[in-house]
Amino acid sequence: MVKLEQVEKIFKSDLLAQPFVALDKVSFNIPDGSLVGFLGANGAGKTTSLKIIMDFIRPDSGQVTFSPSLGNSRIEIFKKIGFLPERPYFYPNLNGEEFLNMLGTLSETPKAVLRPRIKHWSQVFSIEHALKRPLKTYSKGMLQRIGFLAAILHDPEFIILDEPLSGLDPVGRKGLKDVISEVHKKGKTIFFSSHVVPDIEEICDRVIFLEKGKLIYDGSVQTLIHSSPNTEIAIKVKGNREVVENILKGENLVKSWDDMGSDYQYIKVSAESKQKTLSLLVNHSIDIVSLDVEKPTLEEIFYKIKNK
Amino acid sequence: MNSKIYTIAYYTFKEVLKSKVLYGVLFIGLAIMLSVFVASEFTYGAPFRVAIDVGLGLLSLSSLGISLFLGVNLLSKEIESRTIYMIISRPVTRIQFILGKLLGLIGVLIVNTLILSTMIVLVTVLLGNQIEGLFFWSILFNFLESLLLLLVVTAFSLVTNTVLSSVFSFVLLIAGHFIADTQNIMFVTSRPLLSEVLKFYHYVLPGFYKLNIKDYVLYKQTLPTDFLIMNTVYGLSYSAFLLFLIIYIFNRKNLD
Repeated sequence: MVKLEQVEKIFKSDLLAQPFVALDKVSFNIPDGSLVGFLGANGAGKTTSLKIIMDFIRPDSGQVTFSPSLGNSRIEIFKKIGFLPERPYFYPNLNGEEFLNMLGTLSETPKAVLRPRIKHWSQVFSIEHALKRPLKTYSKGMLQRIGFLAAILHDPEFIILDEPLSGLDPVGRKGLKDVISEVHKKGKTIFFSSHVVPDIEEICDRVIFLEKGKLIYDGSVQTLIHSSPNTEIAIKVKGNREVVENILKGENLVKSWDDMGSDYQYIKVSAESKQKTLSLLVNHSIDIVSLDVEKPTLEEIFYKIKNK
Repeated sequence: MNSKIYTIAYYTFKEVLKSKVLYGVLFIGLAIMLSVFVASEFTYGAPFRVAIDVGLGLLSLSSLGISLFLGVNLLSKEIESRTIYMIISRPVTRIQFILGKLLGLIGVLIVNTLILSTMIVLVTVLLGNQIEGLFFWSILFNFLESLLLLLVVTAFSLVTNTVLSSVFSFVLLIAGHFIADTQNIMFVTSRPLLSEVLKFYHYVLPGFYKLNIKDYVLYKQTLPTDFLIMNTVYGLSYSAFLLFLIIYIFNRKNLD
């Protein structure tokens, strides 16, 4: 849908200030129909990347290319893009309906289509009751929801969201995540930035990591989790600890050991040691009660990569 | 293309209207009526002149106030609060955006001018006087002056912060009103270098004094039509130049 190639952006606040590299030759590609999370701490360069994609700011070098399926001119392309900025603050004196009508009209959505869409989505986002109220009376969560509504109102093919879940309560977060998944299932491409790892892990199939303006990871969320050396196998066995210890001793297989009373042991081994440990236990007729794969969360992996 | 400019202008106008700016305008209108009523009690034979003087003065203050205080926030507030991102992330060009925003505010200036000039006409007619043609030229010039100031402050707001934009624009407004008289004082004429600097300033920066004909209206003096047309053309051409400058800067500006 969009491809960034060697994009670099350097900010300099004034002549004497040290230049700050916001993006350092960043390249990535958002495939059609994907739901990609854009992860990074505050100041990692996520918003700068999104601003460059949206042509709000221009890169110092590198280029941004949109898929031909979106169109050839800027106008054609932007007709099929929905964008929600971070911490949006809308015209305070317009009411919700006027604001949505304005944005829908600017997106060239016919009035006959616009009205039922506003009705449908405002019901989904539970803001139907507030559409006649000025936006200055909306809570932060309501503004976030009407902003998201405005971003998808014209049924865009490519939706870009900058921190869409910030400022929402748990119920609001869940609702918005459900809508993101629902819209994605309709074949839309979604690219959303967040610094909250579990949100990305929950709904995205791909993740792009940025740290201090550099690309750290670009790929599948599951591959990242599975390929992590932190994956552990928890084996629960029936037997005396002394007996089981004697079987596994000398092999340096066990990472941790939980004594669960005299009859049961809870052993944790690395994913690589799984086969060998199981073979030894089976060969010595030890009763294996259960076996669990304990994957590290994306959050744990994120902090590990970050601290490297 | 035009429908998008209209949409942006319409909602900009509506947003300003709902911000209760026009209550201020109506308040000024009432002040005009009240001051004329009070003045008619104290001035013998000249309440009409007071009505015109106070009326045109308050109209000018109101229009310039709208241009300065709303104009300075027209773009800077949009960028600061990221509202602009919601608009230009749609199939809208930056030129359409800026033209729409400016037209919306020009609409507010027109409404302000219409309300207050109607009040002045009403009061003058109620006092049993006739309105001269020059009065309407004065209204037009007042509008051109506020339009010019709006474009000056918008141009400044694209390159500096809101406080400096307001200060610079206000300084230009004051200087633009006094530049012609200043050139003739002996302190200047006796210093050739200073005289040249002021001459350069006179040719390059906006000459707001060209759009001020209140004294002629007050004292029922006439002005040649070609003078009025030339000054109208000056106001419009300078505004067009500033508009091109604003579009040029805005098209290249990083909106961060």
